[in-house]
Amino acid sequence: MTMLAKESAPPSRPVVATGSSFAWALRDTSAMAGRNLRRLLRTPEQVVFNLVSPIMFVLLFRYVFGGAIKGLQGLNYVNYLVPGIAVQTVLFSAGVTGFALADDMQKGFINRLRSLPMARSAVFGGRVASDTLNNGFGLIILIATGFAVGFRPANAVGLVLAALLLLLFALAVSLGYALIGLSVRSPEAVNAATFPIIFPLTFASSAFVPVATMPGWLQGFATHQPVSVVINAARSLILGDTATAQQRTELLGGSSTGSLVMLSLAWTIGIGAFFGMLCARKYRRLTE
Amino acid sequence: MTDSAVSAENVVKSFGSDIKALDGVSLEVERGTVLGLLGPNGAGKTTMVNVLTTLLRPDSGRATVMGIDVVADPAAVRRSIGLAGQFAAVDDNLTGTENLVLVGRLNHMATATSKTRARELLDRFGLSDAAGRPAKTYSGGMRRRLDLAAALVAQPPVLFLDEPTTGLDPRSRQDLWVVIEDLVRDGTTVLLTTQYLEEADRLADRISVVDHGRVIAEGTSAELKSQLGGAVVEVTLADADEAAHVRRLLDGVADGDIAVDDEVVRVPAGKGTSTLAAVVRALDAEGVTARGLQLREPSLDDVFLALTGHGAQNVTTTRDDDVERSNA
Repeated sequence: MTMLAKESAPPSRPVVATGSSFAWALRDTSAMAGRNLRRLLRTPEQVVFNLVSPIMFVLLFRYVFGGAIKGLQGLNYVNYLVPGIAVQTVLFSAGVTGFALADDMQKGFINRLRSLPMARSAVFGGRVASDTLNNGFGLIILIATGFAVGFRPANAVGLVLAALLLLLFALAVSLGYALIGLSVRSPEAVNAATFPIIFPLTFASSAFVPVATMPGWLQGFATHQPVSVVINAARSLILGDTATAQQRTELLGGSSTGSLVMLSLAWTIGIGAFFGMLCARKYRRLTE
Repeated sequence: MTDSAVSAENVVKSFGSDIKALDGVSLEVERGTVLGLLGPNGAGKTTMVNVLTTLLRPDSGRATVMGIDVVADPAAVRRSIGLAGQFAAVDDNLTGTENLVLVGRLNHMATATSKTRARELLDRFGLSDAAGRPAKTYSGGMRRRLDLAAALVAQPPVLFLDEPTTGLDPRSRQDLWVVIEDLVRDGTTVLLTTQYLEEADRLADRISVVDHGRVIAEGTSAELKSQLGGAVVEVTLADADEAAHVRRLLDGVADGDIAVDDEVVRVPAGKGTSTLAAVVRALDAEGVTARGLQLREPSLDDVFLALTGHGAQNVTTTRDDDVERSNA
């Protein structure tokens, strides 16, 4: 059989270079991120979903609910809405991190990786890097759609900073999903866990309607939970100086942009560090 | 033992408090040889491979690969091993080339070297034509070859193959056997697990028979077979209910213990054709009509039956089976 023809002489063992472990970890991370992005691009239904869902949400909320939203203190609803849809988009994408890891666990791919001399951190690093890129892409689509239907941020710098803040927050949350993915080992189970977590967190927040219009018992939670804090910070960055004092008090919790951003970063770092540590521990414990 | 590529002493691994997947396994694989780990589902074969490839940490005991302790320096062990197996852990959405280049890069080979190596391996395993297609379009046999190629990218001196041909059609199995034999000829040390006696018989220099997390016999295929004392006459009855009666009937002509496996009665035949003739006479005298009758060299199946009281592919407990699946 020709297909099994032997090589005339066995090649010498390829030189496996040595280098600083940090440099290798970066290289491994980029190799893994590249693999994840290739995978994504070859899953057209996923790409289409990522494209369509932000467009659909902006249009539906803008034109279906927009007229019924009260308490905007004179703020144009589309300017209020876009940061809210943005956080919802990146949070749903965070679930993908867990889904993909569970899929790799289930198919034995993680075991192959674990038998290779690669950096352990690259399994997560590559995942988080590719998912963040994908999320950034989603945000660009979303913002472009917003522009088409009247979204007008006060300044570009604020808009970019707001987007980065949301991406960081999504990254932290995605580590929580990574933990779920490693634990349940079934992509379907991760999906099932996405809805009951992300829906209440984004809807019972300042994402789509002003918290002041919610019943009293819900307002406390909706005002202070991290998703609202991050949305308010993003909104504050985007509105900049154009926000009136009244809008700031009624819609953004009365805080300055600086303090909202600091509080968001505190939540982000706290959530990221907490789940990041649990993920690392869970991964180590796969050997038990 | 410096001559051993793989060595394990008394390896114990439990899951939970009461499930002992490995109950003190010891084995040695000499450099350049093939050790077959033979046993039914749930015997602990996969768990043992996982311990040796650093995927699982043993509760106690000691294991080394190329002289490196798997617990003390797992990273160094990973640089010396390749792992392939029944789950064919390739990325479905990547092409054959992309899968191998990724593994090369994660083995810290230069990208250009990885690409050359990928081309070489795809060529060698008859996958050149499919190199640019996503692995999800591959047949079962092609996937398994790609998986094996991925394990070989860094040319590891030791290769672990966990049930490399389970679920393959006979033709693909043959192809894979030839590939493995080539590797061994080139000096690779192989530890393979299998539940196919034929596979162990063909590929392995030495065989460790595993059951319930223990090695119950060890030796070359010939040594294991000789434990049965040569040839066997195999009587296949029409009805399993007759087996007990026939066993008593043939007790006088057998040169050892008769084994019964449902409707098949195996009679040790130290005197070859004379024993065969005696069996025929005894059956005929009692008017027993057999469906089949043959004199043959003992197979590893006979060995397994003699050692464990059950066939190699009969799953005796579902509990152990679950253990291996949950750790797959």
